[in-house]
This record gives sequence, C-alpha cells and structure tokens, in this order.
Amino acid sequence: MDGLAWRQFKAILRKDIVMELRTREMVTSMGLYAILTMVVYQVALSEAGASLDVRLVMPGLIWVAFIFMSLLGLNRSFVHEKDQGCIEALLLAPIDRPVIFFSKFTGNLLFLLVVEVLSLPVFSFLFLQEQQGIANPVWMVGLVLLGASIGISGVGTLLATISVNTSGRDIMLAVLFVPLMYPLLRAAVGATFAAVIGGPASAALFWGWMAWVAAFDVIMLLVAFALYEFVIGA
Amino acid sequence: MKRRPIAEVMLALGGLITTAAFFMAFLWAPATVYPDGRINFSQKIFYFHVPVAEASFLVFFFTAFYGVRFLMTKDRRYDVMARVATEVTLFFVLLTMATGILWTRVEWGVWWQWEPRLTTYFIMTLLVIGYFVLRNSVEDDEKRATYAAAFGILAFIDAPISFFITRWVESIHPVVLAGGESSGLEPPMLITFIIAQVGMLMLGYAFYQMRLREEELHERLEALKISIGG
Repeated sequence: MDGLAWRQFKAILRKDIVMELRTREMVTSMGLYAILTMVVYQVALSEAGASLDVRLVMPGLIWVAFIFMSLLGLNRSFVHEKDQGCIEALLLAPIDRPVIFFSKFTGNLLFLLVVEVLSLPVFSFLFLQEQQGIANPVWMVGLVLLGASIGISGVGTLLATISVNTSGRDIMLAVLFVPLMYPLLRAAVGATFAAVIGGPASAALFWGWMAWVAAFDVIMLLVAFALYEFVIGA
Repeated sequence: MKRRPIAEVMLALGGLITTAAFFMAFLWAPATVYPDGRINFSQKIFYFHVPVAEASFLVFFFTAFYGVRFLMTKDRRYDVMARVATEVTLFFVLLTMATGILWTRVEWGVWWQWEPRLTTYFIMTLLVIGYFVLRNSVEDDEKRATYAAAFGILAFIDAPISFFITRWVESIHPVVLAGGESSGLEPPMLITFIIAQVGMLMLGYAFYQMRLREEELHERLEALKISIGG
C-alpha cells in the first residue's frame, strides 16, 4: 500500500475511533447486549440443574452472543454514515474504494474485538466459577476470537453497506448475515470447544477447525473486497 | 424479440425423459437390499432426489455467474437472468428438501437430522430465500440489481461446500458416486440415474427459458403502457 492510501486508511479509521470515543455508542450498546444475553442464558439454563457442565455449552453460547452482538454493531457503523450523509462525502473524496472497505473493516473488527475481550471474563465470572477453568492455554481462545472476528467483520462490512440501503435494515442484515456466517460459526464453536475442554486430541482438533476458520476468512475477505467497490458505488 | 422454440422442445423432451426414467427406476433398475435381505424400496427416490439436487447446485451457479456478468457490464438483462436462475434454483431446492425429508423419515426414522449435508443444504435454502427478501426490500432498480448480484455471488460459496461436505467430513448422508470400493452403481441403475439427471437438467433449462421469456414479455408490456401514456 503506498503512502497516500495508507494515510487515507488511517484518516477514516481515526474518524471512526474518535466518533466511537466521543459517543461510545457501539461498544456500549454491544457490551450491554452481551450482558443481557448472559441474563437470558441464565434463564435458559436455570432448570438444567447444577450437574450441567457449562463448559460443554459455553463455546456455543458465547458465539451466539457474539454473532448477534456483531449484527448490532455492524448496523450502527453504517447507520451514522448513511443518516448523516458521511458516505456521500467519502465517495466524493478521491479515495480508492478498497481503502474505504479496509478502514471500515478494521474499525468494525477493532470494536468487535474490544467487546468480545471485555465480555469473556464477565461470562466466565458469571458462569464458570464452580467449573474447571479452560483446559488449554487462553491464547487459543484468543486466536479463535481473532480469526472468527476477521470473517465476521469482513462479510459484515459488505452486508451492512447493503442492508443500510434497504427498507428492512436491521432484520435484513440478520437474514443475509447469519446463514452466510454458518460455516465460520461452526468452525469457531468447534475450535473454542477444543480449546476449552482440552484432552489429548484437542490440539489437532483445534488446528483442524482453525484451518476452516482461516480458509473462510481468506475466501470471504477476497470476495467481499472484490464486491465492495460495486456495492458502495451503487 | 426472439422466439425460442427450444424451450418448448426441452420441456417436452425433459418431461418425457424424466417420466421414462421414473418407470425405468421401478421396472428395470434392480432394487437394492438391506444386509438382512429385505428389499430397500426407499432407495428408488434416489432417481428423483439426486437429479433435482444436482440441478439445484448447477442452476444456482448461474445466479453467481450472471451476477458477475451484471457487475461487469451493468446490463439489466443479466440481472433478470440471475433472478430467474435463482427462482429455478428455489424450485429445485424445495423439491430436494421435500424428497430428502421423505427419505430420511423412512430410512433414518426422523424427519430431520442436523447432519453436515442437510445442514449446509438448509443454509443454502435460507440463502436462496434471503436473496428474494433482499430484492423485495430495495426500491431503486440499479441498487437492487447490484446488491442482489453481490449477495448471489457470496451465497453461491455455500453450494460447493454443501456438495463436497459429505466427502470432507464424516456424514451419514449417502455418497453414491464418490468412487472407492463400496460406492458405485450397477449399470442399469447408473443408466437410469443418468437419464433422470439429463431429463431434469432439460426441464431446468426449459423452466429458465420460459420464465425469462415471460419476464421479457412483461417488460415489453410495461414499455408499451408507458409509450401510450398509461
């Protein structure tokens, strides 16, 4: 990337970060959403009894929370651009469209990761105190978070750009996003499970699922990147 | 406006061939047997279920293909072609689902099983439905066409995943034509299957062409209405 594109990238990213620091809208709403989801989980698991090993369902639960939380954040990230006419200004400025994609993608990824990293300790505080801890090193969970969030933000940035221009906005993003995310989610849950439960075969299982995550990221990011120019210009 | 008699020919031929394959499946192709010697009658649905499933994957490819063509040219015709291809895909997808569910009820004892092939195919069904939900919620013609093309291309990525998943991971869904020792069909079964498949593809092509012509007529009608000041 040459110097100009890099400066443009930084400028758009800085704009998003400054706006987020001033309003704290995305991180607050996503974080609150995550906590509310945990309250709902408590209700959902309340009859399961003390014998339930929460670690068995935890990988699935956290990814359910993260996928719906990311829907919320992705929608927010473009509603501003659209409602305040910022997107027109971005398009009028002599900026390459891929730069817009990568800066929006990086911003979304950043906010998503922040909320994920903040909500995981809360989750383990609320649900995992009486359970055994995570069997494998914590960085493995971190790696899944990073890998899956890249895919979520990449496809999400493209789909949010589409859905913000439709009449159904929020529901439209969910309808398009959740099925497309299925392969990634499945792999993320598999990898998280392997990291949490452990056991002799867990390393091989973990890297097997991570290969799926990586493959999904590469394919989806390339396709989303290629399509973004058309979508944002439409 | 071009006349396309080939669509009618394909429809008639496809209808005849699939009907012939239906009779061949019951009268000519040998029945398979379970290990305990009972005749496996439910296997006969293979000659219908697999052709419609393969057709759904193939037609869905054209959604992505015409999506790419549209984005390259911005020619509205490709958008119509992509939409019609997706309509035909939806038709085949629903047939695949219906026949598949009947078979799993008989063979596995349940209507539905979250099994890799079924799951990824269900996801594909949702994506095809999502494609139309998206189209219905965009007002502007060019935006609608561009978004639908982009989503069609993204959605198609699930099709090869669904197709190959039974070969990649452990799955209880049968893989008949995978090669290897236990797979493969006796010649009469294979011939019946190929005939059913060819007929189904002909039908798919005919549906596509006829729907496309209907769309063109519809557009001409709209243009005429405007030209007489309607």
